[in-house]
Amino acid sequence: MNIFRALTFQSFKRFNFSISLKQDKVIINAGLGSSFSLKEILRYKSLLNNLAKRDFLVRYKQAFAGIVWALVKPTISILVFGYISSKINNAESTATNFVYVASAMLLWQLFSSIFSDVSNSIINNANLFSKVYFPKIIIPISTILVCLVDFLISLVILIVLFIVAGQSIHWHILLAPLFILLTIINGFGIGLYFATINVKFRDVKFIVPVILQFGMYASPVIFSTNYYLERMPNWLHWLFCLNPMVGAIDGFKYALFGGNAIYDWSYFIVSICVSFLFLIIGIKYFFKFERSFVDYI
Amino acid sequence: MSSNAIIKVEGLSKQYILNKNAVQQSDTLYGNLINGAKNLRNIVRKKETEDFWALKDVSFEINQGDRVGVIGRNGAGKSTLLKILSRITPPTSGKIEYIGRMASLLEVGTGFHGDLSGRENIYLNGSILGMSKHEIDKKFDEIVAFSEIEKFLDTPVKRYSSGMYVRLAFAVAAHLEPEILIVDEVLAVGDAAFQKKCIGKMNDVSKGEGRTILFVSHNMQAIQKLCNKGLYLNKGTMHSYGEIDDIVGHYLQSGEASQSEFKLPQPQELSYGYAHTVFIEDMKGNSLVEIPVGDDWRARIVFTILKPTPHFIMGFGIVSSFEQAIRTSWSAPDDLVAGEYEMTFDNTDLMLTTGVYSIVIGLSSEQRAFQYVDNVVSISISDVGETSQNKRIVNTQSGLILNPMPVKFKKLS
Repeated sequence: MNIFRALTFQSFKRFNFSISLKQDKVIINAGLGSSFSLKEILRYKSLLNNLAKRDFLVRYKQAFAGIVWALVKPTISILVFGYISSKINNAESTATNFVYVASAMLLWQLFSSIFSDVSNSIINNANLFSKVYFPKIIIPISTILVCLVDFLISLVILIVLFIVAGQSIHWHILLAPLFILLTIINGFGIGLYFATINVKFRDVKFIVPVILQFGMYASPVIFSTNYYLERMPNWLHWLFCLNPMVGAIDGFKYALFGGNAIYDWSYFIVSICVSFLFLIIGIKYFFKFERSFVDYI
Repeated sequence: MSSNAIIKVEGLSKQYILNKNAVQQSDTLYGNLINGAKNLRNIVRKKETEDFWALKDVSFEINQGDRVGVIGRNGAGKSTLLKILSRITPPTSGKIEYIGRMASLLEVGTGFHGDLSGRENIYLNGSILGMSKHEIDKKFDEIVAFSEIEKFLDTPVKRYSSGMYVRLAFAVAAHLEPEILIVDEVLAVGDAAFQKKCIGKMNDVSKGEGRTILFVSHNMQAIQKLCNKGLYLNKGTMHSYGEIDDIVGHYLQSGEASQSEFKLPQPQELSYGYAHTVFIEDMKGNSLVEIPVGDDWRARIVFTILKPTPHFIMGFGIVSSFEQAIRTSWSAPDDLVAGEYEMTFDNTDLMLTTGVYSIVIGLSSEQRAFQYVDNVVSISISDVGETSQNKRIVNTQSGLILNPMPVKFKKLS
């Protein structure tokens, strides 16, 4: 009986192997570029999970308070900037005010962590792809997963503020995930572009924080888009809305609070188009040089 | 592609561009500012570059189930070839076709993270090497048993001894099941017993299960034991490809495997002086490319002293290919004046087994080293072609030191 089973198992294995012979022919050619392949990414799904798991575990290993730290940083920024914005707007420091700042701040922090982590992800993991082959796009994607977990944890703050402020919920809230996705697209697209430059020019690690610091004040994080646009000459309006985070943050505020969060729908649409443009540029640029990374690291 | 070729390599070349006026890193802020400016200038101007062909027009085919040993000197292009085959770096020209799943093992423990536990690292490393979660789950117990670290499975690997670390790392790699396995000289780590276990495991994998293996090593014994085909690279081009014994024979006869005269690189900062040439000779002063196992040999080191050197000592060491220091010896301290000197170290009392050993030389004055040479001089002890003259050496594969022990022997009844 055992022999019989072993035999069938053997022939089954052999059969499988001959099938895979046809499927798995790999051709390696000269050239520095490669292309985006979803099939290839799915094949390395377990690597994707394990890299994300590693980054997440390592971040809070040997930290006494552990994951609580994921809440501390956003809480402090929300308290500080919520207070400042209410002072400048001459408004009361009410929970309503804070919840407004919190929604924008959390989304901005998601963007900023994805942007900066993705732009450093390739050089930080050079020790991996200089020894083993895998599609390098796995690295920045796993970085997103880690940032997303932090973001989901920090959403607790927003939910608490929502309840304290007694905000009502519209059907719009169903749109919220779309704008979280848009934020991820923004961080990922721009981050990929910088990650590629970073391979050759390490100046990127100095430039990214500068862009982020400036970017926060050029986005409707502390103040609303209305606040900015009312104080700008008309010709600057378009420039302001070329910032892809304007669409994401205003859209998110619209989803949460409804009303007049979106100043002008045409500006809003321009901003979203810029997001996708950046994503396409980032991915194209990344794959144009993907195979040469290891020679420059 | 011929019917049973699993890998086909056609006209493979890899060019590296060396930047001639590359700016060196500086330690000072001022230096860094100057370098930054120079870098910017270099970007604007056209850089002076120099081509270097790490591989040039290499073509071969490997059949399914072949175990190919890749040999050649350092810089012959062995590692570059493996890196291109394993898709780490792209070729400059040429084409490779292969069938099936390929895994490469250019380093043990790629991606190991010190803060993660043994268990977490098994999953991480396994997935980096291309195993699915399901495969790792299935192999998990086997991996743990092979690595002998059951008790420390949940301890962060940074607390492991280096032996445990290597064992765990190799255990994961050894349980890969690709159709094609590429192995660089990763077996040169770990203790001898574990190495034997690894070679045994690779043997099982290739012979028993019909996998195709490409294996780079400087250890001709290991290669001859494991491989059936050989690929001999010389300065980036393919010298020969064929049956392993023929290829190893070519390699050893070419004299490339070892030399009898070594020019040492001049140290960057000159102080008291420097050693510049090392000769490996027999006791009559004839140069020796290969040292027959059991024979006496001598290293003659020629060095220049530039100024009076108080309390001069030269140290001489023999290191095995497993990075294990085997013997160290020092000259008697002496005060030297400027001039050309020669010093010999005779190896008359220690019989080492066959293999490649590297020689380490250190020059010091008043206990402070001013020159240290390693990875330049190597010796090759072999019994290829002729059996040992010494009747008391029966087998060269049963220990590192073959000095006969005093043996007393009498008939009792």
